[in-house]
Amino acid sequence: MKSDNSSGKSGCSCSIGTARSDRRSFLKGLSIAAAAGSAALATGCVPSVEAAAPEKMKLRWQEFFKDNYRLMTQEEKEATIARLERLAKLQDDLDIQMSSDPPIDRVLYGYAFNISRCEGFMECVSACVRENNLDRKTNTQYIRIFEMEPGKLDPSTGDGRYYHKVPVENKFYMGTQCFHCENAPCTKACPTKATWMEPDGIVVVDYDWCIGCRYCQAACPYYGRRFNWGKPEIPKDEVTTRQHYLGNRIRPKGKMEKCTFCIQRTRAGRLPACVEACPTGSRVFGNLLDPESEIRFVLKHKKVFRMKEELGTEPKFWYFID
Amino acid sequence: MQKILLMYACLFLGLAGVAGQGGASETSFLDEIKDIQENFDSRAVENVRPVTRETVLAKDQFNGRPFRVLTRKNEINRFKCSNCHTDKAVAVNQGVELTHGSISLNHGREGQALACIDCHHPEERDYLWDKKGEKIDFDHSYQLCGHCHFRQKRDWLGGAHGKRVANWAGERVIYNCASCHDPHSPRFEKRYPATYSPPLDR
Repeated sequence: MKSDNSSGKSGCSCSIGTARSDRRSFLKGLSIAAAAGSAALATGCVPSVEAAAPEKMKLRWQEFFKDNYRLMTQEEKEATIARLERLAKLQDDLDIQMSSDPPIDRVLYGYAFNISRCEGFMECVSACVRENNLDRKTNTQYIRIFEMEPGKLDPSTGDGRYYHKVPVENKFYMGTQCFHCENAPCTKACPTKATWMEPDGIVVVDYDWCIGCRYCQAACPYYGRRFNWGKPEIPKDEVTTRQHYLGNRIRPKGKMEKCTFCIQRTRAGRLPACVEACPTGSRVFGNLLDPESEIRFVLKHKKVFRMKEELGTEPKFWYFID
Repeated sequence: MQKILLMYACLFLGLAGVAGQGGASETSFLDEIKDIQENFDSRAVENVRPVTRETVLAKDQFNGRPFRVLTRKNEINRFKCSNCHTDKAVAVNQGVELTHGSISLNHGREGQALACIDCHHPEERDYLWDKKGEKIDFDHSYQLCGHCHFRQKRDWLGGAHGKRVANWAGERVIYNCASCHDPHSPRFEKRYPATYSPPLDR
């Protein structure tokens, strides 16, 4: 951040004069120069404490010209995280800790949902909303729980809007969310390559490269993705401050978002918030590449099925029966 | 002769290549996963926050692997039981306070409902006991529960029933039976959901 500032000032004329053929690097230099110039104008070339507004502007300029997450070097990732943390402080007065934890070696996450244990208490949904800084105004939820008639296995036949004492006799409950397909159709639909599958199997979105076209939402056969029509509105004391760049950081307006298996938690060895909140133990999470893991036990010993298996999307999310 | 052999070899390799490609579209990533025999040491995952709740090493193992369970004794308000359950006489006016009036026993099928001493040891008050007369520690109540609920116990050992505490990596710590189930009334009570869902916006 500091080195950018000094190079911007000195490069005010030279970055244009010695412009390399690359359009992006030219624009980048120009933007930094412009931001530094305007900062110098506003403060009269003397750095002062009241430089907060120009600082915000400069950070936002630099944010605007950053790369796709997958193309960033480690230094660039750290720089953008530092900028986002500072911007959260300047704009919303929030002290957040953002990470860019990489995937863990030899880990592929898998998830299983016990449809004979779930009793529809929806603790998972409210835990997810809190953990992932979801918009309280529009009541965005990544998880849906359907109250199902016996014998039906398609959630579209179930009631996703129930609010009465649960469990109801002779009904069962089925949860859906992003299934993190191994052969995900949503990532192929994205025109800006803003969504992809990470090596540990988590399908993520680079919120700053998403243009909000919602092609991925149309491509997803499971209704796993959500579009935000505005920046999430969250009571300040309920904001989860431990965030991940690809996870629960507060999304800008007009972006696609979805379940990330709580990437900020799972990459630190913790369970996703929904699993931790489930009072019935219906949710099983673990490493598919570990033959001794809980998820592998379920796959080996239980009757499992996946939703719309015939589509060949290979979800890493199984339903099972006791 | 050598030429013919070479031709055959080429033909064979070519066919194998085609067959391999054809088969690739039919295979699933799961086949590769199932082939993995090498164990993954989840305790080697870095920066895992240890579980802060009180745990104890379980007396059972899963596939020769030890694991820990949450303790139960620290959750029981008036443990040790032998503090009260002595040979000393109790004054009548203390009776209401000292008997377990708050416990409503709802465990076992209709007509086969359990009584206190089906699980609690009648002599050694700080322990449970099983039908063989073995003393069982409150922290290891899964040893007792598993006598009837053996299917659940098998699933619990493997991870299909119950769940891990806080972490998927690190040392395996799982919820004890009585961490989730009230042993006197093990079924979960009916209640309103924690939240509700808005209609789908499509």
